[in-house]
Amino acid sequence: MAASSASPSQAGMFLRILFKSLKVRRNRVAITFCSVAIGASIITALACVYFDISAKMSRELRTYGANFFIGPKAASGERSMGSQTGQAALQVIPPDKLIGASPYLYGLVRLDLGNAVLAGVDFPGLRRLSPYWQVEGEWISVSFDEDSCMVGKHLAKTMELKVGDSVNVMHAENGFQKRLTVKGIAETGQAEDDQIFVNLALAGKVLGVPGEVNHIMASVVSQGTDIDTLAAQLEREFPNLDAKPIRKVSYSDGKILDRIKGLMAIVAVIILSVTTLCVMTTLIAVVSERTREIGLMKAIGADDRGVVLQFLCEIMIIGVAGVTAGLGLGFLLAQVLGQAVFGSAITFRAVVLPVALIPSLLAALAAAALPVRMALGIVPARVLKDE
Amino acid sequence: MQKIVLETVGLTKRFGNVTPLDGIDMQVREGEWVAIMGPSGSGKTTMLNILSCLDTLSEGKYILDGIDTSQVSEKERVVVRREKIGLVFQQFHLVPYLTALENVMLAQYYHGMIDRDDAIEVLNRVGLSHRYDHLPSQLSGGEQQRVCIARALINQPAIILADEPTGNLDESNEQIILDFFKELHAEGRTIVLVTHNPELAEFADRTVRLHHGKVVQHAA
Repeated sequence: MAASSASPSQAGMFLRILFKSLKVRRNRVAITFCSVAIGASIITALACVYFDISAKMSRELRTYGANFFIGPKAASGERSMGSQTGQAALQVIPPDKLIGASPYLYGLVRLDLGNAVLAGVDFPGLRRLSPYWQVEGEWISVSFDEDSCMVGKHLAKTMELKVGDSVNVMHAENGFQKRLTVKGIAETGQAEDDQIFVNLALAGKVLGVPGEVNHIMASVVSQGTDIDTLAAQLEREFPNLDAKPIRKVSYSDGKILDRIKGLMAIVAVIILSVTTLCVMTTLIAVVSERTREIGLMKAIGADDRGVVLQFLCEIMIIGVAGVTAGLGLGFLLAQVLGQAVFGSAITFRAVVLPVALIPSLLAALAAAALPVRMALGIVPARVLKDE
Repeated sequence: MQKIVLETVGLTKRFGNVTPLDGIDMQVREGEWVAIMGPSGSGKTTMLNILSCLDTLSEGKYILDGIDTSQVSEKERVVVRREKIGLVFQQFHLVPYLTALENVMLAQYYHGMIDRDDAIEVLNRVGLSHRYDHLPSQLSGGEQQRVCIARALINQPAIILADEPTGNLDESNEQIILDFFKELHAEGRTIVLVTHNPELAEFADRTVRLHHGKVVQHAA
């Protein structure tokens, strides 16, 4: 029975008015909720990708080749270094940041039909370093294979070599020679198209400098200036080595990332603006619908604070519910984007929460500013005119 | 001699070149029932808006229960409205999504003191003991007007200002509301009522007739 219930408190009555007001305008509430939720989900998805993109894109961009050089210090006059020193230097690079690395030892050799540059490499490392090479035949997959070679496409054409052919490699000065099978012909679009590749150990024997390398090229995942820090650390630990990022490639990575991030920020601002306009339009319609109700509330004693409080609480309830749903949906959307663009999941980072939450709620509040002003401008004497 | 609850001195309202109220002097004593009558455009509605503190005057004075409302700020006018005035509208103006009881408690809420038992008692008084939990859309016109009157009475206002309270009602409901106003008057409530209806004005202690914004007749 109604008479047996206790009196509601001021707060209880406020909440009762608030929720009944929302309930009676389900459709408008649903539209506002959906607008906020969609806006927040896109912002969340973009924020998730934004904060994960550096790592993801950096790995993606690392498929375009080496971006880090380790070699003997130019001032020392040395043209090579011990391969063990090179390996020790590589250990300084955190394993999770090292995509691939290969030592290089170069020398001039004579093939059956002419001279060529021989490059001794670590094939498994080279494959990770240069996944963009187009290889006819197959890659040499182990570092101990001393019977096979890979030949650059241009050199193969000049020397009339095909996959499966054998080629004699000879060093003119020491007379060392070895017959090798062409396992793959590589098209790189660069100087490597004119080189012949063998495993480092074999190259050392052919060129008469076993255990030596000219330099090491590496592909390192980097963000911002951490690659410079890594180079400095390496040079501190190995004073005789020259370690440096390959500027052109590193800077390209950074530029592409910056542009993508900028684009995402612009899209986020546009989405927030559209959401704000959509919510604002709905709220203006709500205020128009409630003109008499607001006029009545003022006539029977509601002050401006009460009217503002009621409106802001209504929009905050819808806003918080919409943003909460948007956060969940946004994370799912981020996974879809991650799979579609990077082929991997997007990691949720705590920083996404405030980044998505605050602008979305601010957009909802900004959207309420004009309607609240309209509500405050309602003159009871005018809207309650009995005609 | 009863105290003066409402007094206007040279009350004038101007909208640009138009002067819908021009130097109105009027007094209403405690427990008095005054009817304001006049043809359309005579300034009745403007007068009621100013008396109910929903509008401001351009010149003169309006003193309500000892407060000179022409000297108070908008914020203070809200407080005067909330604490001193009970408004009864021709079109009832109930909040459509609140029940009859909640509509009455709404006035208590803005007054800062919610008492459900008091609200129920007032609803019982207007004959709606079985309709507390009904929404306005589930009530007849007469019932809605009774909720409106209950809302006007709930905070024990110094004065009840009613604008054509029977204007939207059929004859039987008109009679109920009229009887109710008589009852309130008998209790000693101060009532100012704007009406076209001479039958309603007939029961007032006094009739103030307006014409072109001026008082043309004070009749007992």
